Amino acid sequence: MATLQSPSTDPPGRPRPAWRLVCQRELTDLWLGGRAIVLVILFSLLLAVMAFLLATNQEMSLMPPREMLFLTMQTTIGIGLFIGLLIGADSISGERERASLEALLLAPVSRRQIVAGKFLAAISPWPAALAVSAIFLAVLSPSSELFLQVLLLGGVLGTLLVVGYTAFAMVVSLWSSSNRTSLFVSLVVYLLFVIPTQFPGTAQTGFMGRLVKRINPIESVNQFLEKVIVNNRTFEEMWDWLAAPVILPLLTCALLFGFARSGLTLEGHPPKFLRFRWAQPAAAMLFCAALAQPVPPALAAGEADGQSGLSISVGTEYLEVKTGEEFDFTTTLRFDGEDELPVIILSMNIVNLEADGDPVDPEDWSPERSMVVEAPARGETSQQEWTIHPIFEGDYLIYIVAIPEVADEESTSRPIVTQGLHLSVVHEPHLNPGGVLPASLGVPGGLILALFAVLWLRRRSLRTQGT
Amino acid sequence: MLQKSQAGAQAGAADRADHAQATSHVLRVEGLGKVFDGRSAVKDLSFSLQAGRILGLLGPNGAGKTTTIRMLTTVLEPTSGAFWIDGLASSRPDAIRRRMGVLPESLGFPKKITGLELMVYYGQLYGFDQRKARQNGLALLEAVKLRPRAHSLIGSYSRGMRQRLGIARALIHDPVVIFLDEPTLGLDPRGQKELLALIRSIARERMIGVVFCSHDLPEVSTLCDDVVILREGTVVAAGTVGEIVRKSRGNVVRIRVPAQAAQEAAQLFHGISGVMLVSPAEESGWIEARPADAPGDGEQDRLLGNRMLDVLIRAQIPVLGLQAEGGSLQDVFFELTDEEHADGYASVSVH
Repeated sequence: MATLQSPSTDPPGRPRPAWRLVCQRELTDLWLGGRAIVLVILFSLLLAVMAFLLATNQEMSLMPPREMLFLTMQTTIGIGLFIGLLIGADSISGERERASLEALLLAPVSRRQIVAGKFLAAISPWPAALAVSAIFLAVLSPSSELFLQVLLLGGVLGTLLVVGYTAFAMVVSLWSSSNRTSLFVSLVVYLLFVIPTQFPGTAQTGFMGRLVKRINPIESVNQFLEKVIVNNRTFEEMWDWLAAPVILPLLTCALLFGFARSGLTLEGHPPKFLRFRWAQPAAAMLFCAALAQPVPPALAAGEADGQSGLSISVGTEYLEVKTGEEFDFTTTLRFDGEDELPVIILSMNIVNLEADGDPVDPEDWSPERSMVVEAPARGETSQQEWTIHPIFEGDYLIYIVAIPEVADEESTSRPIVTQGLHLSVVHEPHLNPGGVLPASLGVPGGLILALFAVLWLRRRSLRTQGT
Repeated sequence: MLQKSQAGAQAGAADRADHAQATSHVLRVEGLGKVFDGRSAVKDLSFSLQAGRILGLLGPNGAGKTTTIRMLTTVLEPTSGAFWIDGLASSRPDAIRRRMGVLPESLGFPKKITGLELMVYYGQLYGFDQRKARQNGLALLEAVKLRPRAHSLIGSYSRGMRQRLGIARALIHDPVVIFLDEPTLGLDPRGQKELLALIRSIARERMIGVVFCSHDLPEVSTLCDDVVILREGTVVAAGTVGEIVRKSRGNVVRIRVPAQAAQEAAQLFHGISGVMLVSPAEESGWIEARPADAPGDGEQDRLLGNRMLDVLIRAQIPVLGLQAEGGSLQDVFFELTDEEHADGYASVSVH
């Protein structure tokens, strides 16, 4: 046996902080080990297929470009946080199962630094996923302003969700003695948040339904992005939807780093307050009960005695615009009747004159498809501003219907209609469907090539060092 | 570089020897206990270890060895008692971790990195800069005969190579005590022999205290200087290997003589001072005897068989068979960890 050499005990130079070392080690495992890059390649394949279908399929291309971008970003965020969840759930309980945690816990470094390093590595696939998504967004986007808007909003909100859910999965991993438990719990919670977003509208319009929508960070982000990107709503109108996505990462990161010291143990047990067996089923039942709440009846309608004397007109009769060009028009409401009218509902309608009168969903064309206004006083008028963002070329007729609100559930009212605004939309090509196919093939192909290149370089480096 | 490192090792060992003499023990355990959900896994455990010595921690499955190791390596917090490593109390786990190295039972090495990368990583975690960690890593890999495979992926290492890598990792920060949990498990005989030689050299040349956990009792009696035997979380024996072996009460000698001479032989044995017949002469001619006194008669016990043979030879009674039991660590272990017999060992010293 060779004489044992002692490690040099010269004073150490400048050591790197432990969180950075752990992060580097984890990044090497994730990216050189192939797990993260394979997940990102799968993600890019999914996005490639989706983008190709969105841009080239005749049926799907009826979808407005803004909605395509929203769907692409929604998918990016959904899969990005799923990847973060998978890696986060494995990060600690996986090490426990692979028996590699003990040696790490024996090193003289703080548990918080270990957790911080692992956390940073676990969220590392998100920027990669966002970069892949940016390529497809650029190809699908009709303008660079829109591309930047979607990328910025989606990037910021996606980061909040990815950070929040990855931290949550790591908390579960911290407290789980087995990897299977950690993955199962994390995925069940993920689904509990995702499934309600797919429920029919009736389940989400009641008081509890609306509440659940507000407290569900994924749904909140979806709502925010959809309204701002697709429906041209402003940030000021929608900012209150950001409460849940902002609170989630704060809460889960506080839990993760708060419990890192006591929770990062060899066995992995949940804290005492979570050990009651009834807590989890009770929470699930409460959640389901919240979703199943019946929709409460509409708020009491105001009085609407008398309908005569109400008239509405549109300020413009004909307009020619290009696709993507935004324009405004006004309507004027006048009341000459005897009885007072409390509230008038105004609803915009758009009909495609070239397609046998097919209706167009005004929500895709305008931030406001309807509004509720006070009826003008007798003999007076009020004006309303409408904004239109035409998406497809063609001839359309836009008209507004004014509906005096009904007095109660059994009464009715007589709607009145403006004359039509004839709108000619001329096509201005923005979308580059031809560019989608190269991106759809090139991005996943490039990533696969990058994977092989990394593996080849790694092998060559090992061979060189070995010789 | 290696010469410098060798000189450093010798100087470090000399310093440690002086320090060990001054403080006497590199590991001292007093009244250590651990309770899991109301069940005591380890009770009132006390022992100590001097620098340069190897202590075998023995016990059947569930005796509390792993819990003890995990408490001593600061992975588990003791419910009661305390321990000191190099004079540092268990209430300072971060400081203690810098003084000890551990080879856990399950190594759990990442497979996609090289042995040297692992050493550099752990070296940096212990506070060395990258260059120093690499330098130390290479020196230790050389010492455990892994230098030629330093740049190979750990996934390609054999079991024995991984164990040696684990030992190198445990030494990366020059600890004063190392804990080795089943280090020879799954190794072939050559691998076992090499690893035991390595462990011995670590203890002797670097004056490191080694706590060695194993189920292989011949291996423990060959390698270890001291032994602690646990049963149901309690120390049932502690001392040097020689002291423990001498406490065996199972030094039984079975001699077979022709059936017609069995009664005569038994009479002769009765005449030997200190011999007590365990069973009378049987028709088969087997006669069983053991020392008459309680355990602890030392050398005299081990000469029992010689004296019995001597009287038979003098009486010209043919000896057809001879079996000797007891007198080994394995025998003592079985006696001490067998519930029926262990209670008679209340007088075994624990220090």
